[in-house]
Amino acid sequence: MSRFGCVLVEHWDAGAVERCEPALRERPLVILDARVDAPDVGREGAPTTNPAAKRRSPPTANIQMVVEANATAREQGVRPGMTETEARARCPMLVTRPRVDESVLSARHALLEAMLAVSPRIEDAGAGLVYVDTVGLERLIGDPASIGRRLVHQARAVGLTARVGLAVSRTAARVTAASASAAVTVIPPGRERAALARTQLAALDLAPDLAATFARWGVRTIGDLAALPREGLAMRLGPAGLRAHDLALGLDRDPFRPWTPPPFWEEAQGLDWEIDSLGVLAGVLETVLERLCRRLGAAALAADALEVRLGLASGGHHARDVSFAYPMGEVKPMLTLLVLELEAHPPCAPVTRVAVSAHPIRTQAGQGGLCQPPAPAPRDLVSVLARLAALVGADNLGSPTLVDSHRSDAFTMLAFSPPTESEPLDRRGRRAERAPRQAPAASGAPARPLAEPQPQSDARDQRLALRRLRPARRADVETAAERPARVNARPVVACAGPWRASGEWWDTHAWARDEWDVVLGDGALCRLARDRLTGHWYLDGVYD
Amino acid sequence: MTPIRGEITEIIGGTSSGRTSHLLTCLRDVVSRGETAALVDTEETFDPRSAARAGLDLRRLLWVRCRGHRDVALRAADMLVRCPGFALVALDLGERMPRLPPTLAFRLKFAVRRTDVALLIVGRRRLTGSSAALAIETLREKIEWVGPGPAATRLARVRTTTRVLRSRRAAPGWPPSLWWSA
Repeated sequence: MSRFGCVLVEHWDAGAVERCEPALRERPLVILDARVDAPDVGREGAPTTNPAAKRRSPPTANIQMVVEANATAREQGVRPGMTETEARARCPMLVTRPRVDESVLSARHALLEAMLAVSPRIEDAGAGLVYVDTVGLERLIGDPASIGRRLVHQARAVGLTARVGLAVSRTAARVTAASASAAVTVIPPGRERAALARTQLAALDLAPDLAATFARWGVRTIGDLAALPREGLAMRLGPAGLRAHDLALGLDRDPFRPWTPPPFWEEAQGLDWEIDSLGVLAGVLETVLERLCRRLGAAALAADALEVRLGLASGGHHARDVSFAYPMGEVKPMLTLLVLELEAHPPCAPVTRVAVSAHPIRTQAGQGGLCQPPAPAPRDLVSVLARLAALVGADNLGSPTLVDSHRSDAFTMLAFSPPTESEPLDRRGRRAERAPRQAPAASGAPARPLAEPQPQSDARDQRLALRRLRPARRADVETAAERPARVNARPVVACAGPWRASGEWWDTHAWARDEWDVVLGDGALCRLARDRLTGHWYLDGVYD
Repeated sequence: MTPIRGEITEIIGGTSSGRTSHLLTCLRDVVSRGETAALVDTEETFDPRSAARAGLDLRRLLWVRCRGHRDVALRAADMLVRCPGFALVALDLGERMPRLPPTLAFRLKFAVRRTDVALLIVGRRRLTGSSAALAIETLREKIEWVGPGPAATRLARVRTTTRVLRSRRAAPGWPPSLWWSA
């Protein structure tokens, strides 16, 4: 037997704003929009449909109309369709916000994605209304009431307050959720008609002319409509009457349309003011990212790429992409990376709108080996590498790798990515030697990493290090018997050499040099090199 | 030869005194245990070929080149010691030492204590004063040359000694004298 849950968020537009500004939950809030036509004065509810009345209505260009009010505002008599002045007359402490389509759309997607974390089959039934197929969830979660509580909890995790109805049909579940006062209401199978009988007919959301017809007939409740003879309804009202009768009986006429999430999840915030400072923009980005991360967290997902799109006061847009080295769902490292990206590429005009899209992926939880030493957490490492790249430049950061060349200072820089696996041990418990990882060169011409294994050192075999001078310094060298005698006016105390090296003679970058190890009069032990092609002497480095 | 985790260690010495060889040995010992190390290189004097010959697995080393900017090097080291997970952060300040206010030295000290990172500072003179738990001075003792004839053709090895200038803990376990093969 099929079984559905209906998740309903009342006063949807107000709920979407409260999600962005949680402090407004306890205050009377209305959403204003200038696009709604002015209603007849003294009549609450929907705008009038009478053309004559419309002609008599005053111009509405500068009139802000209430399109939604939260529960606190409704307690004080504020209703949709009022003008702002009328609403303020009833509630002086009223808080008003404009309707922002991006916020409403973000909230709608957030609710859908949160429900998707409970069941793989959900249907988007409109603003603030989601149907969830709950078949099979009893084995995972428990009885229907537990499923309902889980759905409420998921909605709360993304900042929305929802009511849930569970029944064998979507219609019965929706009517239950709309009419009940409890957060979770369950209709047992076979009791739909009795449970819906006392509910007002308006809960079925019938077409206005059909609702007016039923009102003229004296049909007030769903039970009254369900008791009407079906043949008579068909004769008088046609298919619309049969459809209304089916709804009253709690039957679904439309097929279930599963919803699939978009490839990118977006959170947006429109601004009433212009932002021209990165510090202030970072605060807005943090708020948007918090909502985005709550959505990701509710669905147990992480993001591996972000796209930030800034609407500018000049009318243009500024978009930047940030790819993460590691999927993450935390606000702090995401914010750091976004701010660093915007520092490097700032917008050219003040910002009036912020939208952040995330590419969600599912990550597998990993655990290091028992004997594996701790390494920097990926999120910390990504953050610190981004900061260092901004400080010293991306080219000056990474892991050096030797290249297969006789040139003594030949190396290339690779992106820092320490191996996570532990080194394999041989029978004697020593670490086996491995060839360096093959990876592309960080910059410049492609270089081939050294293929031969690096020498394994021994505690008793300490190697003398060379402090290399980059670039090599030109030196004035006096020679005696073809050996260096004075270097930059300092006497050579001892020397050994020459050691000849050459390479790339087949190319335009041919080089050939003689290398000497010399001790100077001030005690410095240096490596000296003579370029055999030019005859110049260079100080290559200092042994230290 | 391993600096103390959660503390600042300083190695000072003159030109060709062996301080860089000690630095590479510390990096090698840390990396050989499968841990991760970082080197903030102020004057870009690190020689990857020397390091590879010393047995250092370069894949586990993060090399930060500061192109001679000492203030940048200090800021980079400050960032790295605040990132938990690095076993050793080495700061090679080169020949010209910057001035470090005592407040910044204390900041570094508390940062490495919080993240349990070993901070190793290599330079010509001491930098962090009383914030360092261990300070060692390296001195060159002897150079040996080899060759088939009377004139030496190859630098064979160099002998250095170490002198403990400051040790807030007990025996630092630093060898007093070492031979370094060229």
